[in-house]
Amino acid sequence: MVIITHQRDKCIGCNYCVELAYQRWRMSKKDGKATLLGAENKKGFHTVRVDDAEFDDNERAAKACPVNIIQVKMI
Amino acid sequence: MRSSVELMAPAGGFDSLQAAIDNGADSVYFGVDQLNMRARATMNFTLGDLEEIAERCQKAGVKTYLTLNTIVYDHDLSIIKTVINRVKESGIDAVIASDQAVIGYAKSQGVDVHISTQLNVTNVETVRFYSLFANVMVLSRELSLRQVKDICDGIKKDNIRGPNGDLVRIEVFGHGALCMAVSGKCYLSLHTSNSSANRGACVQNCRRKYKVIDLEDGHELELDNEYIMSPKDLCTIDFLDQLVDTGISVLKIEGRGRAPEYVATTIKCYREALDSIADGTYSEEKVSDWMARLETVYNRGFWGGYFLGQELGEWTDASGSKATQKKVYLGKGMHYYSKAGIAQFKIEAQQLRKGDKILITGPTTGVVEAEITTMRVDDHEADVATRGSEVTFPLDSIIRSSDKLYKVVPSEEVEN
Repeated sequence: MVIITHQRDKCIGCNYCVELAYQRWRMSKKDGKATLLGAENKKGFHTVRVDDAEFDDNERAAKACPVNIIQVKMI
Repeated sequence: MRSSVELMAPAGGFDSLQAAIDNGADSVYFGVDQLNMRARATMNFTLGDLEEIAERCQKAGVKTYLTLNTIVYDHDLSIIKTVINRVKESGIDAVIASDQAVIGYAKSQGVDVHISTQLNVTNVETVRFYSLFANVMVLSRELSLRQVKDICDGIKKDNIRGPNGDLVRIEVFGHGALCMAVSGKCYLSLHTSNSSANRGACVQNCRRKYKVIDLEDGHELELDNEYIMSPKDLCTIDFLDQLVDTGISVLKIEGRGRAPEYVATTIKCYREALDSIADGTYSEEKVSDWMARLETVYNRGFWGGYFLGQELGEWTDASGSKATQKKVYLGKGMHYYSKAGIAQFKIEAQQLRKGDKILITGPTTGVVEAEITTMRVDDHEADVATRGSEVTFPLDSIIRSSDKLYKVVPSEEVEN
């Protein structure tokens, strides 16, 4: 199991996560920030549990994020 | 006499906005959330603040411009429309834009457009092109005075008019940070940190120290000037008369990321300078006074930029500010006894002494500077107010619980 967390408020809308992990990320047309698909928002931390197969792409997205607001943990 | 040149101030928050209004700005520019060139700044306004900004500024007769000048992607298009619609509703005077999507939509909605420095306007034909959309354009920061004058003259000669029917008004940067690259064309931050300067997320690689390494023998060269990519800040106050003579209409001060006291001091100095040019009292003596005051707030050392024909930049020898004064946080506002004219603060750090120069900043208060001549702690006359104490002293301006109290000290004292 993999847990992905996104501090959405700090997103600057660079689009890297969408390019690198398209199955899990989309750009919101409402506010131009990235949205973590299927995630639940708890006090600004958007979190979702996904299959191990999604780890690599999302890990790449986390590394590319210019504001370091994506966390990917294998549990 | 009030100068006919418009003085445009940066506003990173309500405190800076108020400081700009109080110190004589004719207009202010600011960003909301994203899609402005200071996306990383935590102090950007939100869309909900637009009404209050417009209202406060309209009362003071100050124009308001919203920056919407990053690169724009498809996923940004709907938010751009939202922002421009809000600009229109709230009575903000114009948007500062670079992307054609923004320029086009703003024009279609009847919202005034200013051309951003991100578009690097460097010749009169470009002015003619954008005159189809914009009444005001900022010129590239890399032009000389002669080039600025040629463009201003060309506008008059060719009768280049904007959508409002008036001659296009030319704006230049008069003070503040300079980019090591031509504005809008630097990719260092993107390449090293995936963080695009042109989306407002510059990590400022140019402000760091670098070594040059010879890859063949591994020798490392440390250069005398360690900050080889970090330009000093632009300052034009010592030749402002020549700059005004070129025919510019707007003088823009850079610094949305800087503190409110920077806005207060810089705007006050340039206000005095512009007005003294207008009434013929601009003098060397005044210039040295302004320079000394400008040096008290954030700066990387000053030079005249490219206006005077210099081909290469001047690089700073400091990582951060060379300001001659620093502010030290003391505490927060508690109460203002308006009948007696007494301000009360809670000291949370350091201590306040009689004779200290103080600085108060806040979203409604703006910037207030004063000197402590007398004060009371726990209802007794005192010379020192220590951490944890509540202090009162007479003050002409109203203070609020959202205000912060600082003492202003010479920079050396802070470093030692």
